[in-house]
Amino acid sequence: MPTDKADLLQGTLDMLILKIVALGPVHGYGISQRIQQISKEVLKVQQGSLYPALHRLEKRGWLAAEWGESGKGRQAKFYKLSAKGRKQLEKEEAGWHRLAGAVGRILQTES
Amino acid sequence: MDWLSDLFGKRRLEDKLDSEIRFHIEELTEAKIVAGIEPGEARRQAMLEFGGKEQIKEKLRDVHRLPLIETAAANVKSAFRFMRKSPLFSITVIATLALGIGANSAVFSALDAIVLRPLPFPESDRLMRLDQYNPKAPGQGGPVAPVRLEDWNRLNSTFQAMAGYYTQDESETSGDLPEKVTMAAVTPRFLEVWGVAPVLGRDFSPDEERFGGPAAVLISDRFWRRRFGGDPTVVGKKLHLSGYSQTIIGVMPASFLFPVRDVDVWTAIGMDAPFAQSRESTWFTTIGRLKRGVTVAQACANMASVQAQLGHQFPQTDGDLKVSVEPLKETVVGDVTESLWLLFGAVSVLLLIACVNIAALLLARASERQHEIAIRLALGATRAAVMSQLLTEVLVMALIGAALGLALAGGAAGVFRALAGNLPRFDEITLDWRIVLYTLTCAVLVALLCALFPALHATRRGLSGSLAQSSRTQVAGRNPLQWLLVGLQVALAVTLLTGAGLLLRSFQALGRVSPGFNPSHVLTLHITGGYGETADMKTLGHRIDRTLDALRVLPGVEAATTSATLPGVPAQYEVELKLAEGRAEARPKIMVESRYVSRDYFATMQIPLLAGKSCPEDPGTPAALVNRSFANAYFSGESVIGHHLVATENAFLGSGEIRGIVGDAREVGLNRAPVPTVYWCGSASGPDPNYLIRTRAEPMAMADTIRRKIHEVEPGRSVFDVMPLSDHLGDAFADTRLRTVLLTFFALTALSLACLGLYGTLSYFVSVRRREVGLRLALGAVPGRVLRQFLYEGLRVSLLGCASGLLLGAAFARVLSGMLYGVTPSDAPTLLGVVMVIIAVAAVASLVPAIRAARVEPMQVLREE
Repeated sequence: MPTDKADLLQGTLDMLILKIVALGPVHGYGISQRIQQISKEVLKVQQGSLYPALHRLEKRGWLAAEWGESGKGRQAKFYKLSAKGRKQLEKEEAGWHRLAGAVGRILQTES
Repeated sequence: MDWLSDLFGKRRLEDKLDSEIRFHIEELTEAKIVAGIEPGEARRQAMLEFGGKEQIKEKLRDVHRLPLIETAAANVKSAFRFMRKSPLFSITVIATLALGIGANSAVFSALDAIVLRPLPFPESDRLMRLDQYNPKAPGQGGPVAPVRLEDWNRLNSTFQAMAGYYTQDESETSGDLPEKVTMAAVTPRFLEVWGVAPVLGRDFSPDEERFGGPAAVLISDRFWRRRFGGDPTVVGKKLHLSGYSQTIIGVMPASFLFPVRDVDVWTAIGMDAPFAQSRESTWFTTIGRLKRGVTVAQACANMASVQAQLGHQFPQTDGDLKVSVEPLKETVVGDVTESLWLLFGAVSVLLLIACVNIAALLLARASERQHEIAIRLALGATRAAVMSQLLTEVLVMALIGAALGLALAGGAAGVFRALAGNLPRFDEITLDWRIVLYTLTCAVLVALLCALFPALHATRRGLSGSLAQSSRTQVAGRNPLQWLLVGLQVALAVTLLTGAGLLLRSFQALGRVSPGFNPSHVLTLHITGGYGETADMKTLGHRIDRTLDALRVLPGVEAATTSATLPGVPAQYEVELKLAEGRAEARPKIMVESRYVSRDYFATMQIPLLAGKSCPEDPGTPAALVNRSFANAYFSGESVIGHHLVATENAFLGSGEIRGIVGDAREVGLNRAPVPTVYWCGSASGPDPNYLIRTRAEPMAMADTIRRKIHEVEPGRSVFDVMPLSDHLGDAFADTRLRTVLLTFFALTALSLACLGLYGTLSYFVSVRRREVGLRLALGAVPGRVLRQFLYEGLRVSLLGCASGLLLGAAFARVLSGMLYGVTPSDAPTLLGVVMVIIAVAAVASLVPAIRAARVEPMQVLREE
């Protein structure tokens, strides 16, 4: 287990969830696994933040949820992106790139 | 609806949260087992990694919580807490609202049942009343000849069907005692027009609608229950109506509210009967059902051309006739509409006063709660949250008030019926969901109206500054807003008082009118008789005279007579007369009110005989008397007696010699000045005239004796509608009585509310300014001066309100002007009276708080510092 985990920046969790869900319908466990895998174990989402975020996004209408069977025959709640969610994701991605670019440029300046 | 299913699906939500979390933990455990960890350990680690299950669930619940409902619930809870904390205030508000909303709902229930709702028949807006009338002989239109009705029905293209009816009272003699039943004789297509089928049995068959066919009757639900105890096998039984045996073929449903409410039986009349062929008879009140999509105007035009066609065909009888087509509802409801809208307006003003009153109370209250509100705002509550709490408080009280008000309105329906007498449709007033809905809407609107402004006012931004100052050291400035509200209440109350005053004065004037006859100690009644008897007028006359003679010799009876109409009860029979002796062409046409009376009429009604002789004993010679107005209008100065009158347009009246002149009497209504009138002498104007009996004692005390005597003379006939003439006169003005009594009640309620408002507001100011007053007194001010100052403040706002109220009242009086009698809309005594009442009431309401202010103990106030 890697020890140097990064804390999630405030507000970025929603965007990450939307991004993961955009890849295809997935359950809560799957989302936490993917974030971990894709970030190469750098990001680890606490369940205590993941699930409230999922439910909040569902309530806002960005995610649609459906109960279905997981690969092993268990009932699981699958989330997928709604049209509204897709728009939101685009907005947040653009915002993130702008922010990251700006921060990067500042850090690159030589003292 | 999402929140609704969420609310009720709380259990389901809980299950879903559980299974979502369980799934996660199971997946996690499995992953660990695959990685080679022993199952028990894997599960333990998974649980640990997942974290606090309950905490997460609570967070999820937070996400799903319904902010709106839960805040509302909290607001309602705090509203009840608030009400418990200040019971006196809450009770005042609730009582005021209960009265305001209750009165409003009560009047609305009457308005709804009588004016707004359609008549209780299927598609009743298609029902029209058709009348024939002759523009040259006003006042005589109405019932239609059978043959003409059939012509209309056949020739028109706008009506689905037309049918007619007339009613008469019959004796039903199959029981032990003759029982009076009201029978409606109806034409074919009768039930088709109304669109109602019998609940038991069947409609008339074509055979039964033919002259000489089997005698059949439909009976009313009321008669069915009264007479047969609701026996389901009643169809086929017989009734004996005025000597004829008739078979019951069906029972009409209770919901069939026939315009003549007391009809017990319906019987079909043969339109082919030989006596039904005259185009001059006036038998049927005619109702038509329009074809779908046809407008009243189209029907009018169509009927005009139909009648024009008949006019060509029968110039003698139909040439002058026209047809009027009017929605049935308008002819049924008629004049009451105006009174009801008036009362509804008045009662809405009353509700407005109640609102203003409460708004003023809330404003006063809000300044007391400034501190609390300021703290809440300072602690981060949003303005909307505080306002919604304040609004909820009032809404809860308004809803409680509305519930009480509904109970009040339920009770008021009885009052309405008592006041309404025989006004149409008052028996249809009920409290149903429409009224409940209306009342709830009222409550919500009222809550918004009363509370919105005070709530806005209380949560103004600047007020948060009040946190800085302690309420104890605060000296209230003048608050023009509260005074404005008090003035508004007074103004509205004055408006209602003015209207009520004018109506009361009219009613008084009506009572003071000398009618020209003496209505007291006169008993009126009817004795059943059928139109069949009119075939032999002589026998009919003898029959009625025999009864009258028997009554005249009864001890306690001073005089007895019959008349086709009741004196003073509005009814008009205007006819044009000519003189047999001829008259100069240049002189005006003789238009008179026609009355048909038997010989002792003038003695019974105590109408003085001014000249000549009264009606002759021998009914053989046609005779007439005229009133003084007649003599003055058409024979100024000349001798009237001895001339012969001829009724040109009315074959029934024929001609008669003028035998005498009598004093003017208000025959056509107490509110109408006497008009030229001719009294035709004769006992029988029809089979069932009004009997008028002057008694020595209280008329109703004689009722039994008289009834028994009539039974002796006419064992086969029944006596009905026994009541004093004064009751008839009262009922004739039921509409006037209704609006006068209710408007007066509303005005007095408005006055008390305004008085309460004034008292409450002034008391509040006195309490707020106690410190200031105490200081002034301590510095040597005279208590009398303090008293005068507060008294003056109360009176000033009342007088300003009164002045603007009089302006509003003038507008209101103009609306009323058609309903006034004997007073002008700007009647000085009424206006003066209103001003006096307001000054007196305002003085009393201001005096108490003013005295309290003058009695402030300066030392005590200063010690409180």
